[in-house]
Amino acid sequence: MNRKSIFSWLVMILSSLVLLFIIAPLAGMFFHTGGTQFLETVRDKEVQQSVWLTLWVSFAATFIFSFGAIPFAWSLARKKLPAKNLIQGIIDLPIVLPHTAAGIALLGFISRDGILGKAASLAGLNLVNHPAGIALAMAFVSLPFLINAARDGFEAVPERLEKAALNLGASHMKVFFTISLPLAWRSITTGFVMMFARGMSEFGAVVIIAYHPMTAPVLIYERFSSYGLNYARPASVFFILIALLFLIGLRLLSLKRKKKNINIDAQTD
Amino acid sequence: MLRLININRRLGDFALTDINLEVSDGQYYVLLGRSGSGKTQLLELIAGLEHPDSGRIILDNEDITRQKIQNRKVGIVFQDYAVFPHMTVFGNIAYPLRVRNETKKDIAEKVENAAAAMNIDHLLERSTEKLSGGEMQRVALARTLITSPRLLLLDEPLSSLDTSLKDDLKRLLRKLNKAGQTIIHVTHDYGDAISLAKRVGVIHNGKIIQEGSVNEVFNNPANRFVARYAGIRNFFRVDIAGEDGSLSGVTEHNTRFRIDGKANVRDSLLLIRNDSIVITYEKPTDVNLNSFRGKVTEIIPSEYGMEVTIDAGDFFYADAPASEIDKLSLTEGKEVWVSFPSKAIVVISGN
Repeated sequence: MNRKSIFSWLVMILSSLVLLFIIAPLAGMFFHTGGTQFLETVRDKEVQQSVWLTLWVSFAATFIFSFGAIPFAWSLARKKLPAKNLIQGIIDLPIVLPHTAAGIALLGFISRDGILGKAASLAGLNLVNHPAGIALAMAFVSLPFLINAARDGFEAVPERLEKAALNLGASHMKVFFTISLPLAWRSITTGFVMMFARGMSEFGAVVIIAYHPMTAPVLIYERFSSYGLNYARPASVFFILIALLFLIGLRLLSLKRKKKNINIDAQTD
Repeated sequence: MLRLININRRLGDFALTDINLEVSDGQYYVLLGRSGSGKTQLLELIAGLEHPDSGRIILDNEDITRQKIQNRKVGIVFQDYAVFPHMTVFGNIAYPLRVRNETKKDIAEKVENAAAAMNIDHLLERSTEKLSGGEMQRVALARTLITSPRLLLLDEPLSSLDTSLKDDLKRLLRKLNKAGQTIIHVTHDYGDAISLAKRVGVIHNGKIIQEGSVNEVFNNPANRFVARYAGIRNFFRVDIAGEDGSLSGVTEHNTRFRIDGKANVRDSLLLIRNDSIVITYEKPTDVNLNSFRGKVTEIIPSEYGMEVTIDAGDFFYADAPASEIDKLSLTEGKEVWVSFPSKAIVVISGN
């Protein structure tokens, strides 16, 4: 056996161990969940509601914040911003913060004493213990995923193409929508899915903003702390399956959409 | 008519300096320069993709220095074509019309015509990812020409095409220019310049160092850099002695040239075109010729036939057709005379 193959073996074994580390607990959880138990949980209204709440709130948060995050990502990729590194650092901050600390910070901002909380209460809305507050908590911790992926996507679009479009008479706005955005679409979708997934799985920040209504991660925690592991397991399995289904569906949709875009272009041409 | 007046633009370590340029309507102007000479930056300034730090750009008596790119009607075709990869050929050519909200019917008609003029009408439904370099170039040209630009800027349009495609495109560009399209074409290729240009500007380190008709520039190169472009390899740094009318220049190897006309500075550079140098076995009798005895050190094929190197203390380079070499039975090591008239010597400042 030569040195190269020893190295290859070593890499393979280490990689397999890491992979196993990810798969084993999940697989264990699936195997330890009985069919009847699982079906009962699926039929449980409380579980259904929490999963549904988690999905739509995370999707709404991602969708709404993408209107600001995508143009922001474009400006990070294209513009000479003052203190760009500082701005980039601020964007990444939620990734490194303990999420409970992020929740506490956010709570101060959206409770009735905070600026946003005051503004919302004027409109008759209490953000704490409300889906809107949950959405804000999810967005706070997951925004970097969308911004960074979209920024990478825009950076990968050759600037020449944007210049050519300007030269051909397009306004900056048109260049953004007809050239930059379609060409960065794949990265943006990846970022969108990442932000959605990250928001969905958020526990720390969400639990501080809203214990009720319960999102799936909070519900799983509640079942675990009140009733124990066996009771929390089926809910976890159910949530993971739903989340996976949703993620795969979104991925497929975005790929299809990209293909469809090209076809539509060809047809109307 | 396009006029650039005292254009300056700094980009990091590099600067376009004091650029003055006039391109009349219907002109085919070739801007010749090496990569990094600033020629692409200059095109981007004219197109409005960049702005000069100082100076003015006048097009048809209108100051367009700060005018929006979209309103300039100056079309640019980039070296890498910048064809939109997510659109079909039709989508690309139609793009400028769509952003102007033209009707579908008008767009279809104009795109058909533009594509037919470029011989790419059979490619309209194709995705641009499947096009060859030559086809991409034509798509980019059609897309720009459909906007009826007052001025067409071409950035190295021939550099990535193979020889036969190059000839096709040159024919197309000449045809466009003949139809009245004003063109500024930047290239690093001397051959492109002489085969297409009516006027030539040579740009080096962000400065236009010489400008004029093809003949003016290449027969009287202003400096060694321009001379190299014209294929001149005979450069001699000399000390000038004597008075106007009977000047001579002496190299450090003691080669003494008789020079016609004037020389302003003592330290000068003499240039002699390779094709001005004649090789003979006998010493020429004409006293008006500069002639030197030397030994042939190398005979190699060149763009112009064969290039013969003669060591006569200083090295001389002469171009000759292969048939001439055969006739003289010239081989390496033979003793020969090189000669050329005094008026074939161009004197430029040594700096």
